[in-house]
Amino acid sequence: MAARLEIRLKKHLFDAEGEGVRKKASQYFGIQLEGVRTIRVLTIDASLSPSQLERIRTEIFTNPVTEESSYSPTARDFDWIIWVGFRPGVRDTAGSTAVEAIEDLLGITFKPGEAVYTSKIYEIKGRIKKEEVEKVVKELLANELIQQWKIISPEDWNPANGIGFPVQKVELRHEPQVSTIAIDSDEQLRRLSVERNLALHDQDIPVIRAYFLRDDIREERKKVGLDLPTDVELEYISQARSDHCNHNTFKGLFHYRDLFTGEERDVDNLFRTCIEQPTLENMKQKDWVISVLWDNAGVGRFDNDYYYAITGETHNSPSNMEAYGGALTGIVGVYRDIMGTGKGAKLILGTYAYCVGHRDYSGPLKPHLHPRRLLDGVVEGVRDGGNKSGIPTPYGLLLFDDSFIGKCLVFVTAMGIMPALVAGEPSHKKTTSPGDLIVMCGGRVGKDGIHGVTAASEGYSQHTPAGHVQIGDPYTQKKMHDFLLEARDEGLIAFITDCGGGGLSSAVGESARFSNGARVDLDKVPLKYEGLDQWEIWVSESQERMIVAVKPEHLNRFMALSQKHAVESTVIGEYNDSGYLKLDYKGKTCAYIRMDFLQSDFPQWEFEAHWIPPDKRGLTEPVIAEPQDHGQLLKEMLSRPNICSRNWIARQYDHEVQGGSVIKPLVGRDLDIPSDAAVVRPILERTGGIVISQALNPHYSLIDTYHMTAATIDEAVRKVIAVGGDPEHLGGVDNFCWPSIQYDPEKNPDGKYKAAQLVRSNWALRDYCLAYGIPLLSGKDSMYIDGNVEGPFGERRKVSGLPTLLFTVSSVIEDITKCVTLDPKRSGELIYILGLTRNELGGGEFYQLMGHIGLNVPKVKAEEVLPLYKALARAISDGLVASCHAVGRGGLGVHLALMAMASGLGMEIDLDLVPREGPVKTFQLLYSESCGRFLVTVAPELKEKFEALLKALPFSLIGQVIPDPQLMVKADNGNTLINENIQNLKDSWLRPFGELI
Amino acid sequence: MKKIKAMVLTGYGLNCDYETHYCLELAGAESERVHINQIIFRTQEESNVLDPYHILVFCGGFSWGDDHGAGVLMASKLRHHLGDELIRFLEQGKLVLGICNGFQTLVNFGLLPGFHSDYTQRKVALTYNDTGNFIDIWVKVRINPDSPCIFTRGLEEVELPVRHGEGKFYAPEATLEQLIGNGQVVMQYALSNGEAAQGKWPENPNGSLYDVAGICDPTGRVFGLMPHPEAFNHYTNHPRWTYYKEGSRSDGTVSEPLKPQGIKIFQNAVKFVSSI
Repeated sequence: MAARLEIRLKKHLFDAEGEGVRKKASQYFGIQLEGVRTIRVLTIDASLSPSQLERIRTEIFTNPVTEESSYSPTARDFDWIIWVGFRPGVRDTAGSTAVEAIEDLLGITFKPGEAVYTSKIYEIKGRIKKEEVEKVVKELLANELIQQWKIISPEDWNPANGIGFPVQKVELRHEPQVSTIAIDSDEQLRRLSVERNLALHDQDIPVIRAYFLRDDIREERKKVGLDLPTDVELEYISQARSDHCNHNTFKGLFHYRDLFTGEERDVDNLFRTCIEQPTLENMKQKDWVISVLWDNAGVGRFDNDYYYAITGETHNSPSNMEAYGGALTGIVGVYRDIMGTGKGAKLILGTYAYCVGHRDYSGPLKPHLHPRRLLDGVVEGVRDGGNKSGIPTPYGLLLFDDSFIGKCLVFVTAMGIMPALVAGEPSHKKTTSPGDLIVMCGGRVGKDGIHGVTAASEGYSQHTPAGHVQIGDPYTQKKMHDFLLEARDEGLIAFITDCGGGGLSSAVGESARFSNGARVDLDKVPLKYEGLDQWEIWVSESQERMIVAVKPEHLNRFMALSQKHAVESTVIGEYNDSGYLKLDYKGKTCAYIRMDFLQSDFPQWEFEAHWIPPDKRGLTEPVIAEPQDHGQLLKEMLSRPNICSRNWIARQYDHEVQGGSVIKPLVGRDLDIPSDAAVVRPILERTGGIVISQALNPHYSLIDTYHMTAATIDEAVRKVIAVGGDPEHLGGVDNFCWPSIQYDPEKNPDGKYKAAQLVRSNWALRDYCLAYGIPLLSGKDSMYIDGNVEGPFGERRKVSGLPTLLFTVSSVIEDITKCVTLDPKRSGELIYILGLTRNELGGGEFYQLMGHIGLNVPKVKAEEVLPLYKALARAISDGLVASCHAVGRGGLGVHLALMAMASGLGMEIDLDLVPREGPVKTFQLLYSESCGRFLVTVAPELKEKFEALLKALPFSLIGQVIPDPQLMVKADNGNTLINENIQNLKDSWLRPFGELI
Repeated sequence: MKKIKAMVLTGYGLNCDYETHYCLELAGAESERVHINQIIFRTQEESNVLDPYHILVFCGGFSWGDDHGAGVLMASKLRHHLGDELIRFLEQGKLVLGICNGFQTLVNFGLLPGFHSDYTQRKVALTYNDTGNFIDIWVKVRINPDSPCIFTRGLEEVELPVRHGEGKFYAPEATLEQLIGNGQVVMQYALSNGEAAQGKWPENPNGSLYDVAGICDPTGRVFGLMPHPEAFNHYTNHPRWTYYKEGSRSDGTVSEPLKPQGIKIFQNAVKFVSSI
């Protein structure tokens, strides 16, 4: 019989969590609760004696100073009771740590099947209707995909039994079995693929059939007791061939046609032509690039003794369904990519970028999670993922647009550091060799995450299987991180990779390519619970696992370290050079596939890509005469959702852990203005720094994705340079999130246009990476950012997200003490603008405010801006610059204001002095988003030195910093346009999300 | 010269071990990062495993994920496996420092407040921030000049970051009065003018009673604090360092905030051990 322990804060103590629920119910739904108290519940499903139960209650689970607890119901004086617990099989980390603590204290071991389950009771005071309680539960406290709940009124309350004894145990009562799949015809296999949710691509089916029907293959298979393909094999092929793993879209053949000019071009393989080739070309000049294009992350040189690793990922589909779990799983997942780079790197930072619908969305569509709730969950997921991993999160972006109501975007990026040599060997090289043991480390395998990869390769619909929603476990992973670094330093790791999308099938399948073969005993894989089929063990994406190749002579030491760090490690097979991947279960072979099969000639995906230039699509410039109230306009701009302060997010993220914080996410006198880039000092004993910045500008995609991409790359580069990054060392990470480009007359009628948008974006990526000298250290594509969202009449409407590129730039800085922040430091400093301003407001914030898109999207002229960047970098490294800031979203007006607000000082600016090209009206000078520009302040005594460095480049002295905290902007021969108090401006900027903590 | 040996515990989700180790080394100690299990395994083979060390640091992090109250499971584990060794360590006049999760562990173990040399009683608590959320923010703390605390000698005000979700100091009224009376309240969250924050947010970032940011035991040799001194180990850690540096450039002086004050807490510990 299970025991239920209820723990609650003493009555007179403030219940912060309960108060948070009360506030949100009021703010989000207008439901007024009088009070909410929370009760933590532990259901102990283990045979413990009464005295043992009492001992763990008092010695572990109850804080005598603040808490009281009981094995009887503790709820009292309530109007409603809400109980929320996990669904069976959902990761319950707190339940596991409770078991750990109980076993340790009592010196016992839980028997198989025994466990502790955590859940929560909310004790509600307030006269509200049951429907209102249900709303609070469904839209605030629980997500039916992972949680279950009960709502109990005082009338239905049984004081003896309380909420009952919730035991969320998984009982499958299923005998694992391998089934075979008939391949009599393509049609039959296609049907079975649909029935079994295999997501095999139609074009692949004949190739798969042909393989299994080959005489030599059939002969070989017979020897191991196999005939028809097994489900294990087809699941494996499906995972490996999914767009997520294989990048079929980027490797596809695009028939590009400009419908206006009639120009036609075939583009064979975007990855090769726009990512790989420019990167290889750039590497000829950049000897700091150590390892790219093959590993879990790219590797660059930090200094002579250390390398850094960087990669970026998205976790859109899971986050869209379960925001907290999806985002948490996403960030800990990208950390594993770094842990699995080379022989393993130590994590030094993570960053985030979220694209969601407007927080106050009140339109007709009913997404599975309202954007506000979704954002709350995503923010919290990354918070727990980063903070609990001990990895700083010093940078991030947030962008609102209602096109992301179909599917939100959650980008997570991570960096690591590793010594150039580990145990005398290059750290970035690794291989598997015949005889190496395959060791699985970390978590256990359950049903969670099955078909995650194939689901990520489809749009979200009501039939999307929810089974791939998981909750990451940073605690387990942090232990594994510490363990693997120690094992690496002792030279015990021959090869390492993470178990991410596709689970063992990807991790083992891909690592076995090096040795050319592997054999795995699936029955040796540790499971969370019995009853998994063999194919499920093979493709499950249960989190927090790494695959390591360990030489037999190192195994004992490896396992001893594993035990020291309380990490589970299991030998599940060995690498060989048989040319086959062979999977056995209790001695019986259930999969036997040639290693070279997946490299064989699968048909290339093909896309029609039809482009129409923006002016031919009907886009024009809007007709707007000069505004008369520029002060009010600036305040309005500052309070726009994509410009205003989102500090509440950065403040929840530990950005100081590891002790190397140099440039923090928020800077300035009051530490509240977002920095251009983040800088950390990864090796505490050294003064070198790592710089990272990111940019995304999907609204420019409304006009032309070519220029969207160019502007995004340029912005990320400028932000790195603004803090002191080295323009000769710019590492790029491209994260594409694109709506489906597969044309379908009914389901995706504009697919050909979206395909052309993707091609153009890649062309810009190629052109600007070559021009700027940016090798792409890493990158990922996440297609299908579409959703079919329910409307008010029960209809479902397809919503496609704006084509989005998150571009990340990494750099190094030799001496962190030369870094610069964006806040002017002293009154009297001279204010310069670098770069030309043009009439380029298209797709920008000002036109959005006016309700327009426009046509003149900002364009980047690389040859014009690059000399400027180099000169500026020189000025910063010479110590001539007091503050520096890249002009981005919202243009000069917004960014002058941000700098003034950061300094707490005033500015006097004369717009007439702003260098420009072509006719640019006054409001256009203020709000054009022309690329290539910086604002810089310089101490007056350094004027000549600074100007000498920029000689012959487009720059101008436009004003100075003044002690009076006013932003004063003049134009048209001294006419005052703006004269606003800095604090008033800041109030406008802080207001939209000022209540959030 | 005498070697001052320090131990920083690691493992099970602790995560400030590298920078804490670095600070101890900067302060002149010979520091060792030791996994909790390593020291527990050692106790099974030998006795008095802590004897070679002079300073024991419980660093920050999320031990056991903080799932059942921050520092709770860590305290339970240590009490169970290392309890006697820790008491013996203290009886030898040595130093214990708990930072953030380490502070939470010390109070759950009972090493703090340690009234009447009883190091086993849970008398105070660090509970959820009043805002209900984790916060990373630099705070100013004022140091009680009358406190016996070894670690804060010579300090008046320090700026340090806090990074926690459970940092609200709570104690029943009588306990709090006893702490104040004994001078055990070492550190209080302060306003920019140096006066106690009196609960004002975000200067007092968590709602701590009496603005308590750190306390010591009556001997001053056990010290726990929520702010992270190890995160201010270089002047570029200070959130406004670029501002002060520009001032230094123009007038040639090094301003006070550019001195990494976090290190002083470790230096005091090393100095104390050297003197005994």
